Amino acid sequence: MMWNNYLITSTRSLTKRKLYTLINIGGLALGIACFILLFLFLQNEWTYDRFHKNANELYRINLKYGEIDQPLQDLALTPSALAPAIKSFPEIKAQTRVYMPNMQVANGNKSFNESRFLYAEAPFFSMFSFPLIEGNAATALNGPNMVVVTASMADKYFGTTNVTGKTIKVNDKNYLITGVAKDAPSNSHLKFDFVGSYSSLGIEDKWGSANYYTYVQLTNKSLDQSLHRQLTTMVKEQMGAVSDKYTFDLIPESIKDIHLYSKAENSVEPGGNLTYDYMLAITAILLLGIACINFMNLATARSADRAKEVGVRKVMGAVKKELLTQFLTESAIITFFALILGITVALLCLPRFNDLTNSHLSFFSDWKLSIVLLLVFIFTTLMAGVYPAFFLAKFKPVQVLKGKTPINKGGGLRKGLVVFQFTAAAFFIICTLVVGEQLSYIQNKNLGQERSHVLVLNGSRFDSNTLAAFKTNLLQQSGVEQVSASYDSPVSIGGGYGINRIEGKPANYSMDITAMPSEKDYLQTMGIKLIAGEALADADIQDVLKNDENSKHHFYLNESAIKKLGWTPAEAIGKAMSLNGRNGTVKGVMKDFHFASLRQKIQPLIVFPEYNWFGEILVKVNGQNIQHTIAGIENSWNSYQPGKAFEYHFMDDDFNSLYKAEFQAGKLLNTFSSIVILISCLGLIGLAAYTAEQRTKELGIRKVLGATTGNLIVLLSKDYIKLVLIALLFAIPLGGYFMHKWLTGFAYHTSMSVKIFMITGVAAVGTALITVCIQSVKAALKNPITSLKSE
Amino acid sequence: MIQLQKISKYYPVGLGRNFILKEIDLTINEGEFVSIMGPSGSGKSTLLHIMGLLEEPSDGQYLFEGERVDRMSEKKRTELHRGSIGFVFQAYHLIDELTVYENIETPLLYKNISSSERKSRVADVLDRFNIVAKKDLFPSQLSGGQQQLVGIARAIVSEPRVILADEPTGNLHSDQAKSIMELFKELNEKDKITIVQVTHSDVNATYGNRIIQIRDGHIRS
Repeated sequence: MMWNNYLITSTRSLTKRKLYTLINIGGLALGIACFILLFLFLQNEWTYDRFHKNANELYRINLKYGEIDQPLQDLALTPSALAPAIKSFPEIKAQTRVYMPNMQVANGNKSFNESRFLYAEAPFFSMFSFPLIEGNAATALNGPNMVVVTASMADKYFGTTNVTGKTIKVNDKNYLITGVAKDAPSNSHLKFDFVGSYSSLGIEDKWGSANYYTYVQLTNKSLDQSLHRQLTTMVKEQMGAVSDKYTFDLIPESIKDIHLYSKAENSVEPGGNLTYDYMLAITAILLLGIACINFMNLATARSADRAKEVGVRKVMGAVKKELLTQFLTESAIITFFALILGITVALLCLPRFNDLTNSHLSFFSDWKLSIVLLLVFIFTTLMAGVYPAFFLAKFKPVQVLKGKTPINKGGGLRKGLVVFQFTAAAFFIICTLVVGEQLSYIQNKNLGQERSHVLVLNGSRFDSNTLAAFKTNLLQQSGVEQVSASYDSPVSIGGGYGINRIEGKPANYSMDITAMPSEKDYLQTMGIKLIAGEALADADIQDVLKNDENSKHHFYLNESAIKKLGWTPAEAIGKAMSLNGRNGTVKGVMKDFHFASLRQKIQPLIVFPEYNWFGEILVKVNGQNIQHTIAGIENSWNSYQPGKAFEYHFMDDDFNSLYKAEFQAGKLLNTFSSIVILISCLGLIGLAAYTAEQRTKELGIRKVLGATTGNLIVLLSKDYIKLVLIALLFAIPLGGYFMHKWLTGFAYHTSMSVKIFMITGVAAVGTALITVCIQSVKAALKNPITSLKSE
Repeated sequence: MIQLQKISKYYPVGLGRNFILKEIDLTINEGEFVSIMGPSGSGKSTLLHIMGLLEEPSDGQYLFEGERVDRMSEKKRTELHRGSIGFVFQAYHLIDELTVYENIETPLLYKNISSSERKSRVADVLDRFNIVAKKDLFPSQLSGGQQQLVGIARAIVSEPRVILADEPTGNLHSDQAKSIMELFKELNEKDKITIVQVTHSDVNATYGNRIIQIRDGHIRS
């Protein structure tokens, strides 16, 4: 019954003070909505690969190799011969190799390029917990040309999930569908649409190259150290003589660590970024905290309103405990509505948030969210309610009823909290600005090669004759300026090669270098400038194509490479050298261009024509009527690759995908800093409104004494502006320090200019000023007679 | 009923003390209607607050029905508050968010009285004060006199033995004041409730059966 009374007083008091209620519920709801979304995101990040029943025993073997005394390459890929070689190790219970090529999958007319196509060995579905809806997990992959498809792929190609026993075309070969798997969860680093049987590939076991993932299940989770020792011994035996020149280390890495901690490159899926995750976790808590601060501030600030009620209730015999309960009830009511609103907002924003973070989060995936929401409810109610409740319950009835309201009590804490809020807001502004600057630096950076207007097609299924014909055909189309092909994407060249003989160096000289086979017109198509030497002629290509001991290669080295070799550009031309057994001469020197992420300094590079295999076909278009040009290219494609899906993208996309994490962080920061600022300003509106209200009489007197409206606005605003300035004093060094650390992660980065801090200052003071002024002007414009009469 | 023995109230000022009340001896018997009079700042409100347990005396003893209040536990004092003392204020001090009915009901809630009894008691009081029609209105919808009527209704609903009234008619015009004072007289005579009021008005003071003059912290008569 008492509760009834509390509820009535609370709801009536809340509906009576609409602005206050709106600010509280709105701010809290925003904070809660952000918290929910970030929780879902981080829960997904931090539970990666833990859903496997055997998660503790599952390891991936990584390869660390390189010349002794040189920085080592850390790869998630291993040679195909590794798995058979370790089969008999006592530590290993099961193992599978996994290979991930791009495949062309077709059922009748439905034909698509599938990038999430895995090949794996028979134990795959018993090692990992990817449940099959249909088919037998133990036998699904135990013969060649078998494939397990996911439910959504079954639906995509057949319109039903009942597909076991049907056949599907994979790169023109018929595969038997032996099972249907549930779609891989979003917190699995192994994401697949198809799993083909490894034996379909017909690959021999070789040590020479590393293109296969090796996953093992240990007999006991603590055996990884012992496995590592075994692997080391085995490697020593395998390598024999070269082991004093190269290091070659095979390291088991727990599957649970892969997403967040792995440093190995070329993983099935790019890893998460622990730093960004921590930042998001802090953001989530900050947002909730800042919203709670609004509540605390407003509740104490407007305590004068409630003081009389407290006094009356105390006179009627209410004790402190009852008053605490009452005010906590009120706080719980507000939090409850905020929670409902927050959940609604989060639900509505989830699709947008999924786009933003490129994930597939869902609200109803498990029960943990409901527990967290309950905790958020309790935490927010207490955090927001306890202080004001104690503050209000403490009032002495005599003083209150005599009309003395303890207006200024709690002012210090209130100020502190406002400073805290605006420190956070300004910090976020700084981060947003710096990340934004760096992103625009990246986008506008002159790479030294063309990346706009370059269309990328899949070149992997062209032989060199078809490619030549296709190229000639394309060049006749309007809008096509240049056509070439390359092994890797020009913006992320990764091939590890070695110079093993070079003119003017001792016979045992060797140097690791990044290199890439390319088609003849690669440099022209990509707009890479030569600072010495000349372009390739048809005769040069004939030299390469001889393909016997008379074949002669032509190498283009970049500036960094000749610098490392100690040559001037002119000296370099014509020097004889050998690159992994390819004999030839230096044909030209390329001006340095960025062929990897701007995080790294430009490394030595060789580009050389060689026509064995091209991953990418590069089509430079002139940018006019692009749709028409693309339609022409598609026509041509269909006549040279009949039945193969035409898929294309722009080089810019490849480039941008190098900075996916940064773009994502940038977008998240933009969103959340706006929300932090919004919530902080909401709080300020409330505080300013109440100060103005409390000082109505003072303002009236000042006005009668001759103060102008301007004087009064300054009087009301200056206290808050002071607080914001103090907040800036904290935020600037803090933000500057953090962002400096972040920027140094890039070898090429923008400089943090004073401009950023100035913009931050103006933005923080400006928003605060506008917020406060609206309230101040309203108070200052009041007719003094009305305010003084009411006394 | 109320016995004050050498009650003093002072605040330290510099090295000395600023006395509000100085060694007050006062006894109020059950069933009395006492008016405390005196100029502004004479200490009469403080005296009333001490009687009502809202303030503690700096010195002296206070016996309520023969029991030392200053030695009571917090719990017992709260019980006294809830059960035996009712307050009426100059500024009415109704809770703005509650209706007339709910305002009157609130003290009963703190006494943990059952729902059905609350209903009947509030209904009785509403009926007696002729404010049944106004029970769903909020304080801001009432005139000053009506608000004070509700204030008194709220004070007597928990059936106190004493009502302490701090200038109950100070904010009312004389007609309203008259009816309020008559109500007090009735409560005193019919219900045998002891009433102590602080007042400025000589006319109001005549409704009581004893007048205590207070000046500079001393009782004058």
